Amino acid sequence: MNLKSVLESLMFAWGEPLSINEMSKILEIPVKSLAAVLDEMISEFRDNEDRGLLIQRFGNSYQLTTKRENYEYIQSLLENTVNKSLSTAAMETLSIIAYKQPVTKVEIERIRGVKCSQVVKGLLDKGLIKETGRLDKPGRPVVYSTTDEFLRHFGLTSIDELPAIEDEKDDKETELQSTV
Amino acid sequence: MDYSVNINVFQGPFELLYHLIEKKEIDIYDIPISEITDQYLEYLEEMMQFNMNVASEFILMAASLIEIKSQMLLPQKEKEEDPRQELVAQLLEYKIFKDLSEELKKYEEETTYYITKPREEMALTSDSKTEQLFLNEINVYELYNVYLSLLKKQNFKIAQKEKDKIYRENYRVRDCMEEVLKKIKKSGKVSLFDTFKEKPYISKEYVITLFLALLELTNNRGMKIYQDKLYGDIIISPGEKI
Repeated sequence: MNLKSVLESLMFAWGEPLSINEMSKILEIPVKSLAAVLDEMISEFRDNEDRGLLIQRFGNSYQLTTKRENYEYIQSLLENTVNKSLSTAAMETLSIIAYKQPVTKVEIERIRGVKCSQVVKGLLDKGLIKETGRLDKPGRPVVYSTTDEFLRHFGLTSIDELPAIEDEKDDKETELQSTV
Repeated sequence: MDYSVNINVFQGPFELLYHLIEKKEIDIYDIPISEITDQYLEYLEEMMQFNMNVASEFILMAASLIEIKSQMLLPQKEKEEDPRQELVAQLLEYKIFKDLSEELKKYEEETTYYITKPREEMALTSDSKTEQLFLNEINVYELYNVYLSLLKKQNFKIAQKEKDKIYRENYRVRDCMEEVLKKIKKSGKVSLFDTFKEKPYISKEYVITLFLALLELTNNRGMKIYQDKLYGDIIISPGEKI
């Protein structure tokens, strides 16, 4: 068995992000060794200029995609599709969850200043967030975290790649206190 | 209750307040609360004039603004907290996430340049002569043929009736359910095919009744049914709750 060849075929057939655990189960190869091989493949695909495909990692899942620089050619071939981008409300809610996870709905609503039940439900339906437990507090509120699908939606390899929060707030807050 | 109608472009009171502050190029750390409150209320009134449903969050913020305004009128003791401080802190926190969401929006746009492919569906292997049929292309005769070939494959003999008569039912769903449950209690799980084969001959009625019993068991008793391969045996096993 040529491992790289099999992995490439699996990812092609699956199309969507394929979890490394799934591959490990099928091939009976430990996740750790698979991850090393996949990492190798990622750079091989990326560095070979003659290839039009990339392997992208989103959390624990891997997906074949086309290369960025070929987009305009693909665009002239394909019909335009529906814009899949998220609403402002969804984006704000998702940002709060991404940076504060695991986080309760109450906390999201406190920051946004509006009720968020509908938005949270929509994000759950889209698989961008998931319930990751309950807080040990009165009412045992559900806490939410982002998923690998969230990483895929924003093209992130891991949650650490999120843009950094500017520290402006802390400085200004102390400034505020001193002026009062 | 959630409001699902967006009031103009504003998602909530913080966004509206921020908009007002930015429009007037006001220093957020020194908000002229009286001026901002007037403008905020003006905006709410405008929304009401357009018969827009003003969400309770907007009203609540209006009340908070007026409260802060009245506190500002009182002579302030030394070392007392600025009445605006909590509002400013909240606005700043909101702004952080609003900015982040705009930043993430760019990431989202960037991913549209990478094309992906939907998942393949596995066609049946060529050694089975069955074609893959789409449900909307199937008519009842084709379905009947599939049914017959399935029975043949599994060596089920179905007794033919000579005439069309209406008989009283020989099998009842409830009895079949009990039969299956009894077996499960005894041996843990039950093979559907073996159950068929226990009878000297299999009537259509029995096949259908047992199958209905199976569905009933998964639906009401939390039984699990699974099939390892296409056209393979169907195994019934107790689910989490019995």
